[in-house]
Amino acid sequence: MNQKVFPATGTFFLLTMLVWMLLLFPTAASAAQSQPAVQTAWWVWEIALFVFCFFLGIVAVIGGVGGGVLFVPIVSSFFPFHIDFVRGAGLLVALSGALSAGSPLLKKGLANLKLALSMALIASISSIGGAMVGLAMPENVVQLSLGATILGISVIMLLSKNSAYPDISEPDTLSKILHIYGIYYDEQLQKDVSWQIHRTPIGLLLFIVIGFMAGMFGLGAGWANVPVFNLVLGVPLRVSVATSIFVLSVNDTAAAWVYLHKGAVLPLIAVPSIAGMMLGTKIGARLLTKVHTRVVRRLVIALLAAAGLRALLKGFGI
Amino acid sequence: MKEQLHASKVQLTYATVLSWTSTLGIIFIVAGYLVYVFQLLPTAVTPAEIAMQWHLRASEFHKAVPVPSGWDWVSQLGRSDVLSYASIVYLSSVTMICLAVIIPLFFKEKDRIYTIITILQVLVLVFAATGIISGGH
Repeated sequence: MNQKVFPATGTFFLLTMLVWMLLLFPTAASAAQSQPAVQTAWWVWEIALFVFCFFLGIVAVIGGVGGGVLFVPIVSSFFPFHIDFVRGAGLLVALSGALSAGSPLLKKGLANLKLALSMALIASISSIGGAMVGLAMPENVVQLSLGATILGISVIMLLSKNSAYPDISEPDTLSKILHIYGIYYDEQLQKDVSWQIHRTPIGLLLFIVIGFMAGMFGLGAGWANVPVFNLVLGVPLRVSVATSIFVLSVNDTAAAWVYLHKGAVLPLIAVPSIAGMMLGTKIGARLLTKVHTRVVRRLVIALLAAAGLRALLKGFGI
Repeated sequence: MKEQLHASKVQLTYATVLSWTSTLGIIFIVAGYLVYVFQLLPTAVTPAEIAMQWHLRASEFHKAVPVPSGWDWVSQLGRSDVLSYASIVYLSSVTMICLAVIIPLFFKEKDRIYTIITILQVLVLVFAATGIISGGH
């Protein structure tokens, strides 16, 4: 019991502070974005970014959300970097996380290559389109649409109920043609679970939208991939989460190249973010059994909603 | 044994290549970054100069600071800022490498659908990487 109290209290305190900071000090970062941060040494920002992303990584794992979706709205609120560079770094944070998690998930058969390839092809094309549109939009429009998207994600996360083992009696024709089915070993059930999918054309259409939004805002898209795989296509939850990570690695690669060509990737911002987030994710995974994940998840959703609200206010020039 | 039961040979190959290439990618970006911030090699733009302008839009930033973008850095690999950028370019190429490796495997298994899907996927990523569609440098 005591073991659970300390990390839970710490995480609770940290998240509550962040929510209040986001809501009560809306002008600090806006001011920072309109003028150079000459008064603070560059290395202070580098260390701050690393430490901040380290905690963001811990919170992301415990809250059960991808680091990418937290990164863009929160870092663009607290740091003096232009949102173009934050989105570029956000894509690389999500990409590097997906690349390092991908191999074991594929080996265990939790991520399914054929399911991922079928969805990623169409989603990666739209993520390139999203990245190009996102980098061409005026800053206030980016903030407004980012704010609205983040608020929407908070609602989805609050309301969505996953189905661990959807029962699909008859697969659709397209999924049969594409040979999308599989079998994985479920450690909770301690047995092999076979699965198949339905509504493949609807899933493909939804992945066009998801890819576009991920490219446009530099967000990881696990928040959308998982519900579509699980609730629309009927993929078991574990396979949905693992395959979503694989799809992320393809989509974010496509969008990352657009950001690289548009000059929206600065190693000085991207690398401390990636390193901090990866380290935090590892620590977070260890803390996972010691904290009340449901409470933390609700606070993370509140944090996302506050960040979304703040982006919306920035978009309106408030 | 269990791995082979639940994952196809192609999937296992992808996973093995991904494991190596992504680990190398993480090592490269951290090494490249350290070389840059400690300026162990000559650099055209110092971190302090970048920090003066990182509040600007990417398009305006590049008019003010000559940092690498797209592929315009290839002939200047001896610079520490370029080396750090090149490590990120490598990380962004990992998925392409993994996909390219599995094309012959799908072909060998006579899996026409996934041979075509994977070739198309690689082409999409290569087009993005060349900068043709994003008006890159």
